[in-house]
Amino acid sequence: MPVVLTVPTGFPPRVRTSGLLALGCAAVLWQPGARADGVVVDRVYDPYVQPLEKEIEWRAVGQGDSDDDALDNLQLQRLGIGRSFSDRWAGEIYLFGQNTEDQNFDFEGSELEAKWQLTEQGEYAADWGMLFELEYERNRQQWEAATTLISAREWGRWTGTANFAVLYEWSDDYVNEWETQLRLQARYRLSPKFEPMLELYAGQGTLGLGPVMRGTKKFRAARQLIWEAGVILGITEESPDQTLRLSLEYEFY
Amino acid sequence: MVSCRKKIAALLSLAAGVWGAGYPQVELEIRDHLFTPSELVVPANTKVKLIVYNRDPTPEEFESYQLNREKVIIGGQRAIIFIGPLAPGEYPFFGEFNPKTAQGKVIAR
Repeated sequence: MPVVLTVPTGFPPRVRTSGLLALGCAAVLWQPGARADGVVVDRVYDPYVQPLEKEIEWRAVGQGDSDDDALDNLQLQRLGIGRSFSDRWAGEIYLFGQNTEDQNFDFEGSELEAKWQLTEQGEYAADWGMLFELEYERNRQQWEAATTLISAREWGRWTGTANFAVLYEWSDDYVNEWETQLRLQARYRLSPKFEPMLELYAGQGTLGLGPVMRGTKKFRAARQLIWEAGVILGITEESPDQTLRLSLEYEFY
Repeated sequence: MVSCRKKIAALLSLAAGVWGAGYPQVELEIRDHLFTPSELVVPANTKVKLIVYNRDPTPEEFESYQLNREKVIIGGQRAIIFIGPLAPGEYPFFGEFNPKTAQGKVIAR
């Protein structure tokens, strides 16, 4: 059955054009029939690094699918601590675990992440950064390395962010494979306390689109808590029907 | 050979000059947890290069939701922030480490 995608008419014309272009790229990147061995819905990274910043982060996704038991009732949680090393580099270390319908929550593995801000915000037509990730999943004894190109651009009160990732998975017991993922976000800067967003995720047999909300609660001495919550709806048969995504990020100095 | 090097150096200086002259430049200073000047007038509809010098020994964060900018400047250092192009109007900013004292606004006209 053909999938018809429309971009809301409330977007500025250039956003609409870019949105259609991005959806076209997502359709190309989406690999029908690919093994759904990874949860694609996670978060969309911005390319910015603040010197001296430290953070504690919790992220969770919960998947549901009425047709595929492997995709149903899967919950993945991730806890990370991070800090910046300069005004260009930041690093974070995560522990993550998951539970499924048949298995209670179990610690699954760990991940190292490094973000590199390439350009100054607003200097060029778009802002650029890179993300490097190395993950080890202990139950499957599997490694995964990923390199992600991050780009962000402003259109008035809209901010568009794109993450394009190339991943390589390897282990002794499973087939080694290359994968690609595309994550897109359109954010409307309504107020610091509430920003509506639209996110799209494509890769590893998943093509999903859905609304996400974000807000920031500020505290003394430049500390802040950023929350995000949203639902990504699968728009192809192979995709999970719905994926709930939640995140809390506490930033301090 | 020397002449060739001189030509290259001259070309690079020219390129750097042209590159640097791309955007109007405005300077801002943080001293005793205050922004000086507290009002910055910039041309409307033009991208501006803002250089913020932090003269205090402690860090400060230039923050403005209206400008969509957030930048920490380590004590004794400087940061470059590109803002705009801005529609005519006023855009408040503040220092997130000292929000009661460090306040200012960009006026685009």
